[in-house]
Amino acid sequence: MSALRAARSGGPAPSTSPLPPPFSRRALLAGTGLALAAALAGCGSSAAEDRAAPLRIGAIPDQDPEVLQRLHGTLAGSLAAGLDLEVEYRPVTDYAAAVSLFRTGDLDLVWFGGLTGVQARLQTPGAVPIAQRDIDEDFHSVFVVNTATGLAPSDDLGPLAGLRFTYGSETSTSGRLMPAWFLREAGIDPQGFPGGPGFSGSHDATLALVASGTYEAGVLNEQVWSARSEAGDVDPAVVAYTRTPAYHDYHWLLGPRAVERLGEDLPRRLTDWFTGLSPEDDAEVLELFGAQSFIPTEAANYAQIEQIGRDLGLIR
Amino acid sequence: MTTLLDRPVPVAPPLVRDRRRWAWALGALALVGWALAASGLFSGAVLNPGGVAQFGRFASAALRPELAPEFLAVVGESVLVTVAYAVLGGGLAVLLGAAGALAVARTTWGRRRAGRLVVRGVLAVPRGLHEAVWGLLLLNVLGLDPWVGVLAIALPYGAVTATVFAGILDEVPRGGFDALLAAGAGRGTATLYGLLPQATGSLLSYAFYRLECAVRSAVVLGLIGAGGLGYQLSLSFTSLRWEQVWTTVYALAVLCLAAEAAGRAVRRRAADPRAGAGRDPVLAGAVWAVLVLAGWAVWFLALSPATLVSARAREQLGHVLSAAWPPATDRDLLAAVLAAAVDTVLMSVLAIAFAAFGAVALAGLVARPRSAGPVRRIAGGAVRTALLLLRAVPPPVWALVLLFVLLPGVLPGALALGVYTLGVLGRLVGEAVEESDQRPREALRAAGAPPAAAWLYGTVPSLAGPVVALACYRWEVAIRDTVLVGLLGAGGIGVLLSASTASFDWPAVATVLAAIVLLGLAVDLLSERARAALR
Repeated sequence: MSALRAARSGGPAPSTSPLPPPFSRRALLAGTGLALAAALAGCGSSAAEDRAAPLRIGAIPDQDPEVLQRLHGTLAGSLAAGLDLEVEYRPVTDYAAAVSLFRTGDLDLVWFGGLTGVQARLQTPGAVPIAQRDIDEDFHSVFVVNTATGLAPSDDLGPLAGLRFTYGSETSTSGRLMPAWFLREAGIDPQGFPGGPGFSGSHDATLALVASGTYEAGVLNEQVWSARSEAGDVDPAVVAYTRTPAYHDYHWLLGPRAVERLGEDLPRRLTDWFTGLSPEDDAEVLELFGAQSFIPTEAANYAQIEQIGRDLGLIR
Repeated sequence: MTTLLDRPVPVAPPLVRDRRRWAWALGALALVGWALAASGLFSGAVLNPGGVAQFGRFASAALRPELAPEFLAVVGESVLVTVAYAVLGGGLAVLLGAAGALAVARTTWGRRRAGRLVVRGVLAVPRGLHEAVWGLLLLNVLGLDPWVGVLAIALPYGAVTATVFAGILDEVPRGGFDALLAAGAGRGTATLYGLLPQATGSLLSYAFYRLECAVRSAVVLGLIGAGGLGYQLSLSFTSLRWEQVWTTVYALAVLCLAAEAAGRAVRRRAADPRAGAGRDPVLAGAVWAVLVLAGWAVWFLALSPATLVSARAREQLGHVLSAAWPPATDRDLLAAVLAAAVDTVLMSVLAIAFAAFGAVALAGLVARPRSAGPVRRIAGGAVRTALLLLRAVPPPVWALVLLFVLLPGVLPGALALGVYTLGVLGRLVGEAVEESDQRPREALRAAGAPPAAAWLYGTVPSLAGPVVALACYRWEVAIRDTVLVGLLGAGGIGVLLSASTASFDWPAVATVLAAIVLLGLAVDLLSERARAALR
């Protein structure tokens, strides 16, 4: 006899709690089954749709990355409209991660720095450079010092050797690779410096750390330095010491899987679209990248960077 | 750790001092002294007064966080992503832990010690690597898939949970289990019906503690690109937009607070079950809530099990493994690893010493008193909020901010970890105080002792055990966390790891990871011994 019937027929009151049991074993199993079904529902979508997958792009600009990441619709929308393609923007914060994702094919078109572009190309056979900005074929880094060092601007890098010194991010071309190269050319051990060099992680952090005096000198991308100087954001305790000779830096790199998927002419169409951007009609996109225009580029432009990367042990 | 706290207090502790304690205490002091000396604290300037203005910018932005509607919308969506990762990662960790516990438990292996040792050694690998490191490795295999974030939390947490669950299973009363075995039941059946029912409370309480921790881990993962609050935080952090950084920190703090409040309610209930038959509505409701949240998170992240077994994942796994094998063994690298390992240990020791000292000093204020005046309540609330913010700001942010006012070296990295750990440890020690026996202190107060003396002689002695246990547990965690703060000239094994990942030198990555795992294992064994001596 069930407890309920017992109670109804005047038997002893059931001794259960007033609340119904919150869940039974059956309910738990049903819930688990439902969750599993929901999980499996998303299954059949991976390989079959590969052919129609959109162009997946990613970019980590050196300057104000948060602005681009939060306005990425501008770039993706503009590119999609211009090429009549489906374009999907995928957020990434880290260059090493972007290189790996380019290799795995999760990213088709990436805005790489000089060094990371070479790393990505070496790991992904068939990748082709698409375009660079006008400023990228004549790119410079700026060595900055704290005014307390009393150093006057000069082309002689020698006095920097005795200072606490910080680079930017480890794989940054303008904040690490090229400055390290020019330091070595000047006879200074790029890994020397008292206590070893620091890696601030970003150009803005380099500026802040040199301003605080924790590091007496540092090096950063000239584009960021100019932008911050013009906006009056640079602490007066930081002054430019010298700038490096020119080198090639950022560029758009396209992976081979996208070409297989979207047609042999994709590289050409992309290059045409980028180089066709004009300050009048596409001011928004160009502004996101801090450029006046985009120009074509080729792998040979980065041969020097590859050589230096190998010399400094950043490319294996 | 929680196992230790949940363990029933021995009825009549021997009133004899264990001589081994002296050796351990002296050893610990010597280690802290060495770490302090190596940090350069006694041998020259460590402060950089010129950076006060930069530090001030960070601190003052706390009062005026970014509140623009567009940014708040971004943060709101990121909160959802973080919750989804935390629930799935933490939930999967509990499942993995439950399965793993059976493989590690002494109960399973009986007298076959070798097998148990092997399983423990295997578990040391997932456990010894930080969630962010797992994230980086998984990203190379699975690409941009939500599984990366989920597994990066679930694997290390699962291994830790397995060890703790096994400890719980091994320590519940075994009468029912033995009786079932004697009656001819198999080991599995006996465990299910003889051990599990008695262990449920402790298991549930630890499972919810893990879910709480998963929230903070989900944020750290965002730093490597898994999305959510950590992703927004890292974007704003790159350009030093402190107002935006603080908005994300506050969002995270609220999230942590909610998770901790819910976790504490569950743990209280589990520790003190209600009398009477029937299920506890609070516990059942909590379990249901987690299940519903997990179902939502699977849908929200579009998680698909097919990715895990896809041909691409296998191909990429093969690529990474063949690139990393054999691990690099050149003399230079090994020497560098050894030197960095010493730095890492010193850094973590400094961090824990700082955090433990601070936690004990603040414990009296952190614990919620049963009766107190308004001033004491306000002070307690302020300290608890401060601790919440200390652990809501991720270690890499602390590392940069402290580097403004300290000169480069081991100290800023150690302090960054210490400040963060203080946030975690302060809360745990405060809870230990709340749970501790209040009678000695009350007796002293009644006898006329001033509050400070009553605290010193009535409460502190009973805290020694839990505090040492908690500090040992966080020491292990701090070893893994040093990989997060190594970069900024602070040194330690994190520098080697990021240098080798930046140059895609996979053999060196393998060597460094092996070193980190071994270091974690060594610290684990050492702290286990230390805790045994204190018992």
